[in-house]
Amino acid sequence: MNTKSTRTEHRPLKVLETLQTLGFSVAVSVPDSWLGEILVRIDSAPDMRLIRATHEEEALAIACGARLGGARTVLLIQNAGLLSMGAGLVSLAQRYQFPVLILASYRGAEDDPVFYHIPKGRVTEPVLNGLGLAYSRIDANRPIGPQVAAAAAFAEEGNCPYVLLMSKEDIQW
Amino acid sequence: MVSGTTPTREDYYRALAQVLPEDALVVTSLGNASYLWAVIQDRAENFYVEDAMGLALPLAIGLAVAQPDRQVIVVQGDGGMLMHMGSLVTAGAVAPPNLTILLIDNGVHGASGGQALTSTSLDYTALSKAAGLEATSIDQPGIFAAELQTAIDSAQASLLTLKTAPDLDVVVPPEPFDPVLIKRRFESAIGVERYVHGTFAT
Repeated sequence: MNTKSTRTEHRPLKVLETLQTLGFSVAVSVPDSWLGEILVRIDSAPDMRLIRATHEEEALAIACGARLGGARTVLLIQNAGLLSMGAGLVSLAQRYQFPVLILASYRGAEDDPVFYHIPKGRVTEPVLNGLGLAYSRIDANRPIGPQVAAAAAFAEEGNCPYVLLMSKEDIQW
Repeated sequence: MVSGTTPTREDYYRALAQVLPEDALVVTSLGNASYLWAVIQDRAENFYVEDAMGLALPLAIGLAVAQPDRQVIVVQGDGGMLMHMGSLVTAGAVAPPNLTILLIDNGVHGASGGQALTSTSLDYTALSKAAGLEATSIDQPGIFAAELQTAIDSAQASLLTLKTAPDLDVVVPPEPFDPVLIKRRFESAIGVERYVHGTFAT
């Protein structure tokens, strides 16, 4: 277990740097309080374009369109959006095999005991399993950059969307 | 078209086929929006969104951002527009100048049998202008070509509201859609670099 690296690294910064290193040029988002600052950073990054959407299913379709046009694209949303974009995930992203990386703040999990988030946290992984969606939860004990890179590679290798569930320490700047 | 009658989707599509820029990318929404266009003008630069209601416009927004040097024309039905009305606001905010939206305003859920929409008093053109788009309403195909050219030449994202009679009979496309083939054909036509699997990367 590499605890040293995870204690010293600025994990949201590593997420952003990894996306830039991998050539992600488009990010599509519907915000969450944990995502606020990284979205500001993406918006000011000269090599990335941030598109703000009004709904997560809409954001997913924008991401699929950008990917169709050849741009490597990441989606940043709260896990509530995973619950509300199910039809688009199945009918568009999965059916047409779009390799879109989805970074989702994992609200209402055991490390985020907020009463109104808990119902979402309780059902997030069962819903992802039900959708047959590839996903993983960030391992707090390992450096985060390689985990983001592996998720991005999985999406491309598998021709499918891939979800990374992220804790507050992973994504809140 | 007989003067005085409401134009059909086919009237507009025939006009579109006549004036479509050769390198334009066309995204069509579910049902006859895609099936009829495949009959009239199947081409590699078409992306047919089968099912996935309401997602043709947002997909086209992303495509227009990623392909800023190509015209992107999206055909969106009014039912799908109502389902994701927010995407109209997003289109105005992102404002890709190479995006033209053709909104089929027929007042019904055509693909599901013609159920009435709740938008009888809604002015899509005014709504689009309020969202920051350049917008015009058309009720005759005869002026479509000129209005489309104006939209394409515009430095703003544009929308044309096309007043259209419902077409409820399902059009049979030349062959069943294969979503992955549609995507691969489209990507090849526009020169998107294919991902090389790690096993084969040098």
